[in-house]
Amino acid sequence: MNVIEIKDLTKNYRKSRGIIDVNLNIEEGEIFGFIGPNGAGKSTTIRTLLGLIYPSKGTATIFGKNCIEHPDIRKELGYLPSEVFYYDNMRVIDLLKYSASFYKKDCTKRINELAEIMDLDLKKKIDDLSFGNKKKVGIVQGLLHEPKLIILDEPTSGLDPLMQQKFFDLIAQENRKGATVFFSSHILSEVQKMCSRVAFIKEGKIIKTEKMSTLQENSYKRFSIEAKSAINKEAFNMNGVSSFELKNNTANFIFKGNINSIMKKISEIELRNISIEEPDLEEIFMHYYAKED
Amino acid sequence: MNIFIRELKAHRKALIIWSICMALLVLSGMGKYTAYSSGGASSEVFDKLPNTMKVMLGLNGFEVTKISGFFAFLFPYLEITTAIHAALLGSSIIAKEERDKTTEFLIAKPVSRNTIITSKLLAALINVIIINLVSLLSSLAIVSSFNTGEDITGEILILHLIMFIVQLIFLTLGTLLAAWLRKSKISGSLVANIIIVGYIISKVTDLVDYLKALNIFSPFKYFSLQKAVNENEISISTTLLCLAVIAVFTACTYYFYQRRDMNV
Repeated sequence: MNVIEIKDLTKNYRKSRGIIDVNLNIEEGEIFGFIGPNGAGKSTTIRTLLGLIYPSKGTATIFGKNCIEHPDIRKELGYLPSEVFYYDNMRVIDLLKYSASFYKKDCTKRINELAEIMDLDLKKKIDDLSFGNKKKVGIVQGLLHEPKLIILDEPTSGLDPLMQQKFFDLIAQENRKGATVFFSSHILSEVQKMCSRVAFIKEGKIIKTEKMSTLQENSYKRFSIEAKSAINKEAFNMNGVSSFELKNNTANFIFKGNINSIMKKISEIELRNISIEEPDLEEIFMHYYAKED
Repeated sequence: MNIFIRELKAHRKALIIWSICMALLVLSGMGKYTAYSSGGASSEVFDKLPNTMKVMLGLNGFEVTKISGFFAFLFPYLEITTAIHAALLGSSIIAKEERDKTTEFLIAKPVSRNTIITSKLLAALINVIIINLVSLLSSLAIVSSFNTGEDITGEILILHLIMFIVQLIFLTLGTLLAAWLRKSKISGSLVANIIIVGYIISKVTDLVDYLKALNIFSPFKYFSLQKAVNENEISISTTLLCLAVIAVFTACTYYFYQRRDMNV
């Protein structure tokens, strides 16, 4: 079953581009990464899912129901925004109780558990908290009703590495209990760690949706070769070669495709050195995002 | 229900401050009554003032040396104060979620936008009623302590009914603007300006007869204060028209908020 289904979702803002024909399906129980640079449309997509803004075209459904028309689907949704803002004059516990009051179940136990894990002082006033601590309030607030779908928008900014680790453990735990996670970020390493599938968004369009394993294991290799004589650039003008950089006798590029074909090409060259590496997601990412101009 | 209670709590402090100010306004206003009523001489002074001057001071049409006239002269100041309160309350109770960036929190909860508006409107209504009651009760108490002649309880009640209707007009105008304008933050200053313009119009039309048609833009002129003072009556047709305006503003608030793209 698909927990989130986004079909041809388009949002035009008056001046700026929003998102264009976004299609995504997120299956139950997976941790789905949503990757893109700032301003690519990640938050716009999420805001449509939450019902904050209306799509210009297309539909978005959560648990099979249209997210604009059915506010009640948000009972099973936990959301952590990228920047956390709350009603100032409240103590942390007041805010969390207010948040819990929307869910018609007793969340006190879970609030205390989460606050303990995240090392959060419930009695402080929210205005007195640092950015990182406000973020912790956001995390507890997003998880206190044990939602079946967790939407995270740049969740780790402002958290120290230790807290990030605790946070990831927490998310992994929720996921094992059956929660589906939609994880938007521009930090690739954290997505790499957590997610089973990932979608890349660039300038409002989804450019690729792939399994993390496919991305990492099979398709991409980073080649660095050093030849004894000058390398002919034309020789590498073939399918699957990208980000080709040539400096005198050294060439760097990313290759996607049948390894044998590229090895044949390379065997024609008199080599001094070669290295073939797994590119990290960052490189694949840059490869997608390199502006085509 | 939780949003309603939350809003009541959030506005509690402001409500207390406004209530104290209202009571003080009535007290300080009525405190001057002794000076106006002290002797025949002052009455002659008022009579001899040119009409323009009377209008600017709000003395036109009332015998301010009598308590009934004096309260009617004081009333527009109370009315405009409560109107400003209602308008700012209406606009901020809607707009503050976007101003304080708490919209994401609220909308991500399993509540419909209509529920949000209903809760907020009810909370605002309670605030407006309390302000009206504070003005009413302090007027009754303070007037009776100064009053040596006729009983004007009926007049005070009718005037406060008028005040309540004007409050509701501005409250719903405030919510309407906050729900409608793309930059909802500016709804507060906009609605405050509308009040000032409405007030100026009410003065201008007192001075210049042929501009009377402009009164449609000034809720302060919808009801005849003279009628309220002299007959202790309120025009039924005007009341019905005002209720219709309030209903339209409320419906528009729901409509625009429902279709709104929230600024985050």
